Amino acid sequence: MDFTLTETQQSIVDSAAKLLTKHAGPKRARQVLATSGYDPELASALREAGFLSLMKETGALEAAMVTEAISARAGLVHFGAAAMVAPALGMEIDEPVALSRQRGPVRYGASAKTLLILDGADVRVRRVDSGEARPMRSNFGFPFAELPADGGERLSGAGAKMRAWWRVVLAVEIAGALRGCLTFTTDYVKERRQFGRAIGSFQAIQHRLADCVVLTEASRWLAYEAAFQGAPDDGAEVAISYAAAAARRVFHEVHQMNGAIGFTREHDLHVWSMRLQALALEMGGA
Amino acid sequence: MSVSLFVGSAEEEEFRADVIRFISEYRGLNGFHFQGSKWPEVKALYRAIGQCGWMSIGWSDAAGGLGRSAVREFILWDEMAYARVARPPLGAGIVAKTLIAHGTEAQKQKWLPPIRAGEKFFSLGYSEPGAGSDLAGLSTRADLHGDHYVVTGEKCWTSYAQDSDYLWTLVRTGAVEDRGRGLSLMILDLHAPGVSVRPLPTIDGEQLNQVVLDAVEVPVEHRIGPENAAWRLVKDALDVERHVQFPPARLRRDLEELVAWLRKHEHELDPVVQRTVAALGVGVFEVEALALLVLESVVKGRPGDVEAAQNKLAHAELSQKIARAPFELGLSEALIYGPIEFLYRQSTWETIGGGTSEIMRSVVARQGLGLGGRS
Repeated sequence: MDFTLTETQQSIVDSAAKLLTKHAGPKRARQVLATSGYDPELASALREAGFLSLMKETGALEAAMVTEAISARAGLVHFGAAAMVAPALGMEIDEPVALSRQRGPVRYGASAKTLLILDGADVRVRRVDSGEARPMRSNFGFPFAELPADGGERLSGAGAKMRAWWRVVLAVEIAGALRGCLTFTTDYVKERRQFGRAIGSFQAIQHRLADCVVLTEASRWLAYEAAFQGAPDDGAEVAISYAAAAARRVFHEVHQMNGAIGFTREHDLHVWSMRLQALALEMGGA
Repeated sequence: MSVSLFVGSAEEEEFRADVIRFISEYRGLNGFHFQGSKWPEVKALYRAIGQCGWMSIGWSDAAGGLGRSAVREFILWDEMAYARVARPPLGAGIVAKTLIAHGTEAQKQKWLPPIRAGEKFFSLGYSEPGAGSDLAGLSTRADLHGDHYVVTGEKCWTSYAQDSDYLWTLVRTGAVEDRGRGLSLMILDLHAPGVSVRPLPTIDGEQLNQVVLDAVEVPVEHRIGPENAAWRLVKDALDVERHVQFPPARLRRDLEELVAWLRKHEHELDPVVQRTVAALGVGVFEVEALALLVLESVVKGRPGDVEAAQNKLAHAELSQKIARAPFELGLSEALIYGPIEFLYRQSTWETIGGGTSEIMRSVVARQGLGLGGRS
């Protein structure tokens, strides 16, 4: 049992953090969401820094750590699809990649060049031609589109693998967004004063925030464990169902703790919090 | 409303029928949630309500009202909430009732007629950047200079200030250490020099406002009640207005919209969906019962702080439970823009605005159960 990062992992996490400080964050997320909702600059920075090949060259756990960090910094790229799901299926494909369950809204659907379609026991790989995506209006922090789910090259028997890795990616992304919410809220309750003291000094806040820490930490380690084990079916299911439940609960708690300020769009909380629901619902709420 | 715990007297139910007939011309307006973006239409509606005499339905005859009981007010605004057309305006409620109880003749003459007619509108200027739950800690200063006060400070999360004529505002005229005992109530003209209103866009797509007051001159005759005596007035005003603030029929309507949405997306036969909806339906009755306890306290002229707090707590939490049900049920259609996800975003406000759930719990525990602690 060792939860300490190895030297290699630490250096990967550090260099990802450095890159994300420059290319991501809530301000950047707001700018990107005001346009396509997909951040090609962040995507190319990640590609140039070699993060896309982490899964093959270092391991799934390290790729998961970078996916978590991107989510915690509110990056708008589908890194997990390109750097974890696709390589797990043995594919090197054109970014951006989106994932489809054949029906329902597809995250990053309007920017995707390649669509991986989960089709029962199989996977189909389909090119997306321009004009095929129909953007769908949403307030949940990501761009969504409706896409045709017909055709494509069939990968027989790859469905279970795609489903499990997709779940792991979602769990990791939720863990990152939870961390984003929690860091932001912890800073806020330390700074916000009422009744002559920081609201974070009230036990009613402390206990609830502590519960959120438990949910966030456990979400992250369950997701990392599932990635490390190579996305076994049960591990992936546990990771996503725990993380999805945590996402629903933490949304409610952090909004309450941020009060009226958190209801305004000037405050950054919504940049992370609204995404939680989208991620929790992507595989049907788990 | 199809099913409800509350059935009034024959006259009251006749009144309800009149209200429903009146509302039928305004269906689809949704000024309840979108007052800001529908202001011209909502304003016209308020004027029409004024023409029926309903703005002042609960005011005394002497004040120019119809002198009816609080039950009529409850019916009126509960039906308006169910139809989603409008919320009770601040002017006809807290402002007018405080003026009637504590205002001078001149103040009544000046403000009651345009409020009654649905022509002048007020925003509530209580909260400040540094004073949300801790209202008694507010710091906007009002200093007397001859025949007027000079008011400087900042109010925020102010609903509807962008369309209102006046701010009904709490200001500090006494010492900071005096907390609630150093506050005065004033009517401040939002178009006076030194006032700037800046929108704070909110996650429900509407807006709250920041109201900056930079040496705004307020005539001394616009102060309501004695100097430094506002705390009592603010509390008294709540006692006569709390029965219309959280209309339970809003929740019945939320649930009906949820059920319609579940049907449209073909989820209504799922047993888990059915159990969820049944539990929410029980919740609607729970909140109606609690709302009727509040109504009773107003009708009987009793202080109803605890009843109001438990009602507000249950109302707010149920609004979120209803709105969050599609998300709990894992229905990803809920992510796409529409009335259901709107409720999800809007209801986030319910446990915060008008007193947070934490404050409501403290009222129930301290005043209701006598458990001690700061109140």
